[in-house]
Amino acid sequence: MKTLTMFCAALVAACVGIAQGPATTTGQASGKGAGKVAPRRPDQSPASQPRPKSETSQTYPAEQVRQGGMRFAAQCGFCHGRDAAGGESGPDLTRSKLVAEDTRGDKIGTFLLVGRPDAGMPAYKLSDEELIAMVAFLHDQMDKFATLGGGRRSVDPSDLATGNAADGRAYFNRTCSGCHSPAGDLAGVAKRYQGLALIRRMLYPSGNPAPSPPKATFTLSSGQTITAPLAAEDEFTVTIFDPLGGRLTYQKDKVKVKIDNPLSAHFVQLGKYSDSDMRNVYAYLDTLK
Amino acid sequence: MRTFSNIALLIAVVSMRIHAQYADPKELLKPSPDAWLTYHGEYNGQRHSKLTEITPENVAKLKQVWRFQTGQTQAIKASPILMDGVLYVTLPDHIWAIDARTAKQLWHYEHAKNNAFHIGHRGAAVYKDTVYLTTPDCHLIALNAKDGKVKWDVVIADSSNGFWSTNAPLVVRNRVMVGVAGDFDNLPGILKSFDADTGKLQWTFYSTPPPGGTEPKSGGATGGQMWTTGTYDPELNLVYVGTGNPTPVLNGDARPGDNPWTCAIVALNPDTGKLVWGFQVSPHDTHDWDAAEVPVLVDAEFNGQRRKMVMQASRNGYFFVLDRTNGKSLLTKPFAAVNWAKGIDELGRPIPDPAKEPRRDGVLIAPNEAGATNYRPPSFDPKTGLLIVNAQDGYGIYFFKPDHGAYGWAGADYNVAGKSYLRAIDYKTGKIVWDHPIGDNAGGAGVLTTATGLTFSGDNSGNALALRTSDGGTLWHENIGRMQGAPITYLLDGKQYVVVGGGSSLCAYGLTEGQAAK
Repeated sequence: MKTLTMFCAALVAACVGIAQGPATTTGQASGKGAGKVAPRRPDQSPASQPRPKSETSQTYPAEQVRQGGMRFAAQCGFCHGRDAAGGESGPDLTRSKLVAEDTRGDKIGTFLLVGRPDAGMPAYKLSDEELIAMVAFLHDQMDKFATLGGGRRSVDPSDLATGNAADGRAYFNRTCSGCHSPAGDLAGVAKRYQGLALIRRMLYPSGNPAPSPPKATFTLSSGQTITAPLAAEDEFTVTIFDPLGGRLTYQKDKVKVKIDNPLSAHFVQLGKYSDSDMRNVYAYLDTLK
Repeated sequence: MRTFSNIALLIAVVSMRIHAQYADPKELLKPSPDAWLTYHGEYNGQRHSKLTEITPENVAKLKQVWRFQTGQTQAIKASPILMDGVLYVTLPDHIWAIDARTAKQLWHYEHAKNNAFHIGHRGAAVYKDTVYLTTPDCHLIALNAKDGKVKWDVVIADSSNGFWSTNAPLVVRNRVMVGVAGDFDNLPGILKSFDADTGKLQWTFYSTPPPGGTEPKSGGATGGQMWTTGTYDPELNLVYVGTGNPTPVLNGDARPGDNPWTCAIVALNPDTGKLVWGFQVSPHDTHDWDAAEVPVLVDAEFNGQRRKMVMQASRNGYFFVLDRTNGKSLLTKPFAAVNWAKGIDELGRPIPDPAKEPRRDGVLIAPNEAGATNYRPPSFDPKTGLLIVNAQDGYGIYFFKPDHGAYGWAGADYNVAGKSYLRAIDYKTGKIVWDHPIGDNAGGAGVLTTATGLTFSGDNSGNALALRTSDGGTLWHENIGRMQGAPITYLLDGKQYVVVGGGSSLCAYGLTEGQAAK
């Protein structure tokens, strides 16, 4: 019974999707699905940007900074470093835009409640007191590092400028032009992304916004097919976005569904690139300003 | 001889019944089916249970019997211990004793607040009436198994230098062996053995030279931390431990040579802490690929000859089979996407390609830093000869330039993408027999196999899974939150239970009355 209702809801949602044309609803729906977090700017890695500074000057009692540092080291230090300047897997928070734009926890607090689980950042529930201590520590570190310069995990755009753009274009034409074009989806890509952000996006353009999110195509008993943007999938369920950004989950054994993920081709390509291919294609994309 | 050991076992079992919450050290050698007394269940690290009540035919009817909520935000990454009907489960700074019949909390011990890394905890250990807990700030604490009262509390290493501990101790006779972790500082690799009764230090093994040491062969490398639980062969009286990556982590120029004994399987005498042999699975590692994965001990045929083997599916993407009497290689084969080695040397070690060392303009590397596998324990099924491992085909980009220095991480690396699988490796050939996809990026669940041909584990979306060991087909699933430890199984009042962690909860599963026979 429940499944039936769910399915009808999806049918309605998906039909709306068809009316609007799947290509355009896709991006909107996924954007709204992630709408609770302050929408992330295009996937610009902090390590390749000039170091930001806290936008509003903020001072915190030394004891608060110390308390925040203790908690940060214990809970966050493994990924982000004890000093918040980057650890085993997490970014350098002393270069974080979110921290720079935060005032007394208004951005950091909201973010921590949700986290970014798909990227490995869990949600944290902190008391007001714990949160403000953490915020105090992060702003204090950001200010300290702003005067120090350097950066342990830094990758500058100039570091990556060793490829040959002409060879990169030839490789692109052979390998990538089936899905991408320099005058179409990639026009101006080097204006939007530079350095590490561009090369990561070139290798595997996941993240938010995804340029071309995966789609789920349902085949109904009538033979009609309905396509909707995919929100999540596992062995047993498929979750799609409805046009309002809500999520609907179906049991795979109750529906006939096929997933089409354009990222699959990127994953296969990762096993084929030589390092010089990678640098050459990067050099070519870097000319698309 | 056999009768004698059976009598000894009987005495052990009887004495266990008399003393509630008591594990005779001899029982650790041959745990009874109604116990799970060590991190791996048995010293050999196979995580294979001989229990037969739950079968491929009835596993679809598994029902949750209870769910114990720790009330903490961190995920359970531990294997619980079951001793005399009491489960001991840990999180960083925490241990709970719960009644395995009702999930009622019997006691809870919380360690003092500290600022060492709280990234996970692998579990406790037991000996006689004592439970041992390591803490993030590198204490080893002995607790009374009955009430959680502290018996003694010793420091393994100084956490203010950058050490932390997540380790489930390995107990052999009266020796409690514990390791630490520490990748963000240039620190020597330390494994210590403490007297199980008194907490007195018995020995220290250094995988890399201690500060002020004169041993030149490490090439200036520090690191090689032994942060996961080893295995033990009582006949050879050898303990096998995987060692971590060298530090500085990504800057290989600062530490020329192979950097022994980092990224190695080492065989130690548990009575002296002396190295008997070592085998480096990643000579001169520059990608953070700890060889800390479980060295699984298997006695079986290899190339027509009966062998005592140790095998490891390693974070660097290669599967190794060694003769565990002497550390000589029998087989080295990739089991996941790899692109960093030029070949295999005459000792059976992958030869790192210098062109794949981190560099200023980046190199694309498989596996990524999370590895082709990691701390999550695999399981060996003796009937099929399959090692079932939570594996990842992953790619990352690695950078190093002189600005990154020669201390701690000393470089930059970023994940690109990964896909993970429960993957069955035939130990005789290294061939992949089946792959069961479990989602994007690295998985977290360990593996348990049973004698009826079942494999228990979890996927990346929070489903606990039971698969058919022979072909990886799904037989049962239930979404309980992401599994980050390894399942265990035991008999309680004659019934078989499977216990798994999902998120920050621990869940027990069993068959209801009458289903077992079906």
